[in-house]
Amino acid sequence: MNNGERKEKPMQVLLVEDSPGDVRLTREAFQQTNPAMRLHVAADGVEAMAFLRQEDGKEDAPRPDLILLDLNMPKMDGRQVLAHIKADENLKTIPTVILTTSEADIDIAKSYQLNANCYLNKPVELDAFENLVKSINEFWLTMAKLPQHEN
Amino acid sequence: MRKTAERRLAQMEGRYRGLLEAAPDAMVVVNPAGEIVLLNVQAEKQFGYRRDELVGQRVKNIIPEGFAERLIADALRSAEDALAQQIGTGIELSGRRKDGSEFPIENMLSPLASVEGTLVTAAVRDITTRKKAEASLLEKVEELNRSNEELGQFAYIASHDLQEPLRMVASYTQLLSRRYKGKLDSDADEFIAFAVDGASRMQRLIQDLLAYSRVGTKGKELLDTSGEEALQHALVNLRGAIEASGAQVTHDALPDVLADEMQLIQLFQNLVGNAIKYQRAETPRVHISAVRKDGKEWIFSVQDNGLGIDSQYFEKIFGMFQRLHKREEFAGTGIGLAICKKIAERHGGTITVESQVGQGSTFRFALAGSQDKL
Repeated sequence: MNNGERKEKPMQVLLVEDSPGDVRLTREAFQQTNPAMRLHVAADGVEAMAFLRQEDGKEDAPRPDLILLDLNMPKMDGRQVLAHIKADENLKTIPTVILTTSEADIDIAKSYQLNANCYLNKPVELDAFENLVKSINEFWLTMAKLPQHEN
Repeated sequence: MRKTAERRLAQMEGRYRGLLEAAPDAMVVVNPAGEIVLLNVQAEKQFGYRRDELVGQRVKNIIPEGFAERLIADALRSAEDALAQQIGTGIELSGRRKDGSEFPIENMLSPLASVEGTLVTAAVRDITTRKKAEASLLEKVEELNRSNEELGQFAYIASHDLQEPLRMVASYTQLLSRRYKGKLDSDADEFIAFAVDGASRMQRLIQDLLAYSRVGTKGKELLDTSGEEALQHALVNLRGAIEASGAQVTHDALPDVLADEMQLIQLFQNLVGNAIKYQRAETPRVHISAVRKDGKEWIFSVQDNGLGIDSQYFEKIFGMFQRLHKREEFAGTGIGLAICKKIAERHGGTITVESQVGQGSTFRFALAGSQDKL
């Protein structure tokens, strides 16, 4: 994939987040920085796995270029989702970024042990949150070379 | 033989009776064979025997096996030596009543020279009430520690969980203000501005509450720490404020101390930060020094030439969320010195202030010297 092709195809991002307020904020922030990218949302771990495995009504789901994963969610939490993704031969190459309010050392350590690609804290301030989304866009969706895959 | 012994006993009883009965405690006199020779009314009452049931009996009937023999052996080993240690310092053990029930007693032994040889006098005090009081005190202390810890955890969890919904309120009021300012009417602009201000102030309060509770919950072990390096670290963190104010920060050589390094940095940072913040127009000057006190601890001082504080506020300023100025004059929630106080107390010391309005302030706190220098 070269840069020219990349621009034509919108980037697909899966946001795994149970708080609608956070979903909207993230959407607003991406809207400002990269209106072309496609943001898909899963409200819990079960939905996220269905999306990624294209099962249970999500057969048409695209394979995301990046996963933004919250840790604390109902049903299957972010740690379990992360463990499933990184244990899956097909899914483990998708960069998975933890995006959470938890600043606990144990959550950070555990996430990297489970092969998270990056751990980010949701900033409390709106400006800081927008800057973070901008950085995510710049680094993961623009600068980083991501693996190629079919579909 | 027996007659002689009985006669002697009678003589002795006659001699000591008055003395024994006057004693407030139960008194039991034992001969080297471990037999009870004499006792007073209190002893009868305490152990539930009649006098004639005990005289001539072995003392181990009323003091559990093992103890009695050892006590007598100890007491007789060397009257001066062994007893010197035991006199006045009661030995706590169990007594056994006639009905078999046991109760805690404190025993005080002393030798008594007599024609029969050295006898051992035991003053036996029933310490049931004291033991109960001790146990209940211990229980209370444990309860208090537990509830203190719970309270610390509660503050931490509450402030952490409150942050989530508040982040939503703050973010969305900010978004509202950004997108719709000037598009509704002037009332709407004003209402939104108050909501934004309130939410962001509450955010700072909660963050400060978190920082305050972290002093207790995230505190590290006290280790040898360089006071010099801790201050340098704090000054690096304050670089922006120091440069903006043109403050001159000087310090003497600082000793190594026993501290939680992160907290010592925070302590310096809050005190030096305040010294720079609460200032008149001229160049802020801050000086940090330390003097040794009683050869054990170090008293650190952070001295400034700032606004100074009225003595009536000396205690108030260390309270949580206490402020002496309007928000328009100086920003902040009023948590800084409360954190300083909590850190100082966690290090086994206190923090004090000496100040006069218009003359600057000096804050002092004590820290134990580093272990290898003690």
